[in-house]
Amino acid sequence: MRGPPPRHPDDQREQLPPVEGGIADAAEITVGDRVVYPNQGVCIVAGIEEKDISGQKLVLVRMQREEDGASVLVPRNKVSTIGLRRVATTSQIEGVFHYLAAVFDDPELDWKIRHRDNADRLIAGGVLGVAEVVKGLHSLSRIRPLPTKEREQYDNARHLLVSEVAVSLGVPPGLAEDYVDYALMPPAGTKFDLKPPPTPVMLPSRPRKRRPVAAEEGDGLDDLGLGDLGIDLGGDLEGALAASGGEGGAAAEGGEGTEGGEGAAAGAEGGEGAPAAVEAKATPAPARKPAGKKPAKAKARAARPAARPATRKPSKPARKPAPKHAKARKPGKGKKR
Amino acid sequence: MIRVATLDPLEPSDVAFLTKALYRAFGVGTENAGDRAMLHHAESKDGRVDAVQLLADVEPVRTFADDKILYVTAAPLSLAPGPLGAPPCWGFALYGGERGVVSTSRFPARGVSEASVEAWRRRLGRESIHAIGHLWDLHHCYDAKCAMHPSWSPNLAANPEMDLCSFCREKSERKVRLAKT
Repeated sequence: MRGPPPRHPDDQREQLPPVEGGIADAAEITVGDRVVYPNQGVCIVAGIEEKDISGQKLVLVRMQREEDGASVLVPRNKVSTIGLRRVATTSQIEGVFHYLAAVFDDPELDWKIRHRDNADRLIAGGVLGVAEVVKGLHSLSRIRPLPTKEREQYDNARHLLVSEVAVSLGVPPGLAEDYVDYALMPPAGTKFDLKPPPTPVMLPSRPRKRRPVAAEEGDGLDDLGLGDLGIDLGGDLEGALAASGGEGGAAAEGGEGTEGGEGAAAGAEGGEGAPAAVEAKATPAPARKPAGKKPAKAKARAARPAARPATRKPSKPARKPAPKHAKARKPGKGKKR
Repeated sequence: MIRVATLDPLEPSDVAFLTKALYRAFGVGTENAGDRAMLHHAESKDGRVDAVQLLADVEPVRTFADDKILYVTAAPLSLAPGPLGAPPCWGFALYGGERGVVSTSRFPARGVSEASVEAWRRRLGRESIHAIGHLWDLHHCYDAKCAMHPSWSPNLAANPEMDLCSFCREKSERKVRLAKT
């Protein structure tokens, strides 16, 4: 069996179907209900309270963790967003066991992706997500020992899974853990009659980093005042803007873009993308202010590459012998003194 | 404090070895609490005793706060079947609770030679540490050399170690430190 897909393949689709048994509205829960709080475990809804916090009247749902009786207070309007769900049903738990017992040979090897995905699965994946974390890290531990952080994550995930299985099946947690490990590490010669495991949990795609627009970039650079410091932005910035204008024109033209893309000038001339590029060129007026200095600096830049090899190379052999003499003289002087 | 109670006769030297092993593993005082009567009503038709019922109904041992009790029996134990069947039972403990039980029925024969007796004792020590580990909130460990590795695992050595891995040791030490009254 292959491992679960790391992310939802469609980047545009951020909203995935809710986890089975998820509580979408606070009205669905009543006092005495058993719910699962992500990363905390099974809790009992102890009551609904109204509290005055810094001048605001908040309606809070009080939940008590079954394991140790710790209280958790959640604003009622946040219940739908924290990933609260009902305790897994027996059929769901059966699916989890069939998933755990299946052969798994594809653990995610990139620790960064793995750790991030596992953290998301524990929060938003439901009981199957927790089982995926346990199974994934367990199969990885067969290849190499887990690092400390992941060892802790594995232990936490195992704890959450065991407690939920115990509550769902109505057995002591010690027995639930034996069931889990019987599926994960069956004794030699044991064969299970397995059903196809449930569909792996899909994680929402991560939001992409927002790329600033070319015009914003220009303004940002102006605000930095690099021109006042004597740092030349003119030549490089202009070149970059010209290139972006060409690309923009090509993109706007669509089918003709391939032709326009060959020459930046052709792309910049035609199409709807051109005005944007023109605006971008026109806006960085302050950046052009030091344009008066440009020719002199450009000349200096052009001269530098030629001057560097000419000046530096001969200087090295000239400097090298000097310290040798100095070193040779120093001890002699010291001795004389 | 860990208190060891025997439900079937056990050699005094074996009990001494066991108390020493438990003290070394958890750093908590261990003593022999004597014999207790075996529950025969928990026995099923196949002669095995239901471990969960045994722990619920067994004759209690007087304890103080945070004390853990380990019962040792020679009777074969069984567990209720789960979604994929019944796991083999070497022992059972109430997770984070007070009582645990270990059965010697699945151990290799004790024999009479020094080596076989030593191997038997080491196995008894390992299973007892495993059960007491559950009482101190330890879960099963994937490390086959750790005493918390499942007893039926195919990765387990024929004569397994009776030590905890560093992660389980640290976790148990933390729990013991917090629980000391």
